Amino acid sequence: MKIPFSWLKEHVALTATPMQIADDLVRLGHEVEAVEMPRAAVVGVRVGLIASKQPHPDADKLSLLKVDVGDAEALDIVCGASNMDEGDKIPVATLGTVLPNGLKIKKGKIRGETSCGMCCSETELGLAEASAGLLILPADAPVGAEVGAYLKLEEAVFDLSITPNRGDCMNVRGIARDLAADAGLPLNDLDLHAVAIDTSVADAIVTVSAEQDCPVYMARSIKGITVVDSPAWMQAKLIQAGQRPVNGVVDVLNTIMLDLGQPMHAFDADTVSGSINVSSAQGGESFSALDGRELTLNAGDLLVNDASGVIALAGIMGSEPTGVRETTTNIVLESAFFRPARISETRRVYAMVSEASMRFERGVDPDMVAVAMQRATNMIIDLFGGSASEVTVCGDAGSVNADASGASRQVNASVSRIETRLGIEIPVAVDDVLVRMGFALQRNGDALTVSVPTFRHDVSIPEDISEEYARVIGFDKIPELLPPLATTAPAQQDRSVHDAVGAGFLQVINYAFISASEQRLFVAQDDLDIALENPISDAMSVMRRSVWPGLLNTARYNMNRQQSGVSLVEQGRVYLKNQKAENSHDEINVIAWLMSGDVEQDDWFGNARQADFFDLKGAVNAWLTLRGLTGRFIADDSMQGLQAGQSAKILVGRAEAGRIGRVDGDIASSLDIDTPVFVAEINLDALTTGKQAKFVPLPEFPGVERDLVFLFERTVSSEAILNAVKSAAGKMLTDARIFDRYDGKGVPDGFVSLGIRFALQDGKRTLTQEDSDTASQAVIAAMDKRFGAMLRG
Amino acid sequence: MSEIDSLKAQLESLQADALNAFAAAENLNALQQLRVQYLGKKGALTEVLKGVGKLPPADRPVIGQHVNATKSALAAGLEACETTLAEKEKIARIEAERIDVSLPGRTKGKGALHPVQNGLDEISMIFSQMGFVVAEGPEIEDEFHNFDALNIPPEHPARAMHDTFFVKEMGNGEKSEPMLLRTHTSPVQIRTMKRFLAEGGEPPLAVVAPGRVYRCDYDVTHSPMFHQVEVFKVDRDVSMAHLKGVLKHFLSTYFEKDVAIRLRPHYFPFTEPSAEVDIGCVFCAGKGCRICKGSGWIEVLGSGMIHPNVLQSVGIDSEEFSGFAFGLGVERLVMLKQGIPDLRLFFENDVRFLSRMGVNK
Repeated sequence: MKIPFSWLKEHVALTATPMQIADDLVRLGHEVEAVEMPRAAVVGVRVGLIASKQPHPDADKLSLLKVDVGDAEALDIVCGASNMDEGDKIPVATLGTVLPNGLKIKKGKIRGETSCGMCCSETELGLAEASAGLLILPADAPVGAEVGAYLKLEEAVFDLSITPNRGDCMNVRGIARDLAADAGLPLNDLDLHAVAIDTSVADAIVTVSAEQDCPVYMARSIKGITVVDSPAWMQAKLIQAGQRPVNGVVDVLNTIMLDLGQPMHAFDADTVSGSINVSSAQGGESFSALDGRELTLNAGDLLVNDASGVIALAGIMGSEPTGVRETTTNIVLESAFFRPARISETRRVYAMVSEASMRFERGVDPDMVAVAMQRATNMIIDLFGGSASEVTVCGDAGSVNADASGASRQVNASVSRIETRLGIEIPVAVDDVLVRMGFALQRNGDALTVSVPTFRHDVSIPEDISEEYARVIGFDKIPELLPPLATTAPAQQDRSVHDAVGAGFLQVINYAFISASEQRLFVAQDDLDIALENPISDAMSVMRRSVWPGLLNTARYNMNRQQSGVSLVEQGRVYLKNQKAENSHDEINVIAWLMSGDVEQDDWFGNARQADFFDLKGAVNAWLTLRGLTGRFIADDSMQGLQAGQSAKILVGRAEAGRIGRVDGDIASSLDIDTPVFVAEINLDALTTGKQAKFVPLPEFPGVERDLVFLFERTVSSEAILNAVKSAAGKMLTDARIFDRYDGKGVPDGFVSLGIRFALQDGKRTLTQEDSDTASQAVIAAMDKRFGAMLRG
Repeated sequence: MSEIDSLKAQLESLQADALNAFAAAENLNALQQLRVQYLGKKGALTEVLKGVGKLPPADRPVIGQHVNATKSALAAGLEACETTLAEKEKIARIEAERIDVSLPGRTKGKGALHPVQNGLDEISMIFSQMGFVVAEGPEIEDEFHNFDALNIPPEHPARAMHDTFFVKEMGNGEKSEPMLLRTHTSPVQIRTMKRFLAEGGEPPLAVVAPGRVYRCDYDVTHSPMFHQVEVFKVDRDVSMAHLKGVLKHFLSTYFEKDVAIRLRPHYFPFTEPSAEVDIGCVFCAGKGCRICKGSGWIEVLGSGMIHPNVLQSVGIDSEEFSGFAFGLGVERLVMLKQGIPDLRLFFENDVRFLSRMGVNK
């Protein structure tokens, strides 16, 4: 909300500078978005008289002007505009001036002709978004005068962001009241001279059948007005406050609203048939809003009706046909209090925001309903003529803030409690500030009774009083004090992603929502997806059930930017409906990896190498080992989005904790990734914590190692082979592993040569040649029996 | 010349030849051959000894002494040359094995924590060390926890300011309670207090709740998903001075310098009094710059004393207990600390950005 400094001064004789006022506003809780200085912004721009005008010898569209700005010699100015003539008065930016758009005026030559200044349009003075040609000033403008002063530009305009609880400050007087109270200055009285009533004008006939939502409604007929434009001073005020002038009547009502905070409405009386009734909608009524929308209304909406239908969505917008036009001669003025929650709900349903609804939904001052009616009537008659009826009053302003017994709102508080919870003392002298803000206070020892003014809908409990004290004393006066701190040991930090990062992966964070088609890449269609009602876009419309689509996008993004390989890790949640419990869902914490392209670069010690399945498997295994866990990788060809033969389930203990594999080639190529992509995902919630190892004595006697090489069929898994070795070699076996794998020349198709190294050890004696021979024979026999594998060479 | 003199002369010349030969040996191998040549079974010294038998017995002991002296001299000469050569060979070997230690080591790629993760870790750690317990909550929330319990009733204007993502109907049957993506981490405050009380706990309760939050707003300065940390403490006589003390300690620790803080009165439905918190601009030390728009202050978070309605909604007696709460935007703090100009960089996940700005801890 924009508040011109001069308008504030109509309510309180402020003496501080605009910047001091801005600081005071911030301290009082009104956020200052900006302080505009329109007058200072055009210092150096003076009224000039065009003494002569000649065409530029070398440019058709330029003119050579001699401009008198009151100095001894007229200025030579080259000007590109065409709407000026000799004898016109125009704003001239003299040398050294910096215009609001940042342009600094310097002496220069334009197409060979000297120019010592610049003639300005409204746009260049920061007065309009766009303009056609120079601003031609009135003939009586004093030559040489500063244009900013001559045009009475504001010294300062405060752009404020009013918090939703302070509806009372969505007007100039409300802000003025806070500033006056704070500075110890009196708030000027409003001009409340009585309206001259013409008893021959019939009163507006009004009934209210929705008293709950409309506790006060006032209406008045004014006949015989002539709607002309509002006077220039009013238009200037509105423009500086950020409002567009519309027509005389509407401008008066907007001025009243900005000044006092009471939104009003005027109906063209000749378009209203019969009496006015304020009621709740039954539902289904149609309404042609002033903004051009055609609405079908919902039951409960608060309406202003005439005999023929809805003439206003109360407190939000009038109807198009009943609006005031240039041709209007008779009007009905409305001033009312509508229940904030009602206005808020209706406005939200129709996504309709108006200056009126913004004020009604925050709560207007019920005591201002009559005042605004009186001020508006006087102003309209003064400016546009006409004669006014009596005011028709429905309801009672006093009922708005009254409690059940009819008394006005009071808050009982304890001074010491407030002091304890703020951490400062509340000197009695501060009470005066609150009194100037409209509160009535009574201290009785520690007990404090506060009567709340009608416009402060936000104050109803002791904590609200506490806040009032805090802001008038100043939050900066509250000391910085550390509370007593507990000595609980910090919980163990989740190291999941840190460990992966330590192993060389870059952590990424992707949005938790993906597109529906991305969801289907790795998760088959079922009814467990959680979709958003109002997504930003289709690409962000479904809560992810796998982290892989996000990682794939990250891989694509980076590989499109000349990265030859990526190793990524992401930790976060995946989301799905809970199958068992109706209307509930699960959020599962997962960690996921992606590797693609070069894992090793060309280097002085070796050549570049692309990631394969075992790079990622190794990383996942190492990660599990760090948490004291062991994973089993079970080949599984049925996993959505992964290539058969290069994908596996990951079992940890008995639980299926994750999956790993190569992304289906079609998916990768659809993302323009031409290197194999490997992904893994582990459900962190499914992991148990590894057990801490118990001590086992270290062997005292040396062990022996044996290497055996067999020819296996390719389909045999190394896990099965090693398991068979373990059971065949007996109790002395301490380790068995594949130390060599070869399927090149000399190995028949469909076969592979695997070297198995196993170690034997006994805790009680040194092993003999016989021991290892026996074990070897057992292994050879087992390989033959179990897999038909032949010992090589 | 007598026999004995001749033998003596032979021994002398042998010793001189041998010592010269030892000194001239180029390596240990050559030296070994010389040892054999002079001291071996068929060596030069043995040859000389053959002449001893021809001597008269009285002369033999005399020549014996000469032989032993020669033997010792040769052995000593050998050992000295051996030491010198071994030293020389070691130096040569070291020289031959010299490497360029400035060549890069073998690595497994450079991992890095996402800067937001690092921010979350740092922030949580500071509060953990102050005795705040880490808590989490669901990201898909109901309206009660996200709004109602936080003193934001349905018609409240503040609801509209939250730009809430709603989730499509999750139940199959009759109309179920609307669910949404939490717009702040404050619902964790409600859930944690409720759980704590249900488990029989009684304040003091001090909690730090990091997590992801969502707002339906997407432009240069807004991301539809971002990270917040909610911090609150409930106890007897918790005061606004405590809030300021904790904020000051936290912000100074996080920014690794003594930062000035400023509280401005503001409005949040779930706190009363409420305050926006500014820090003295970390870029210009409060002098006024482009980042702080010349004000010398930068807004960093919202805070306040927990509204009694919020305490009551979870069953805490607001007469007996009070509390403070604040919620901070992690991305914003990280941007300020690391000088990152654009929020969107965090979620673009450009590896060049991540490996430069990220931390590997």
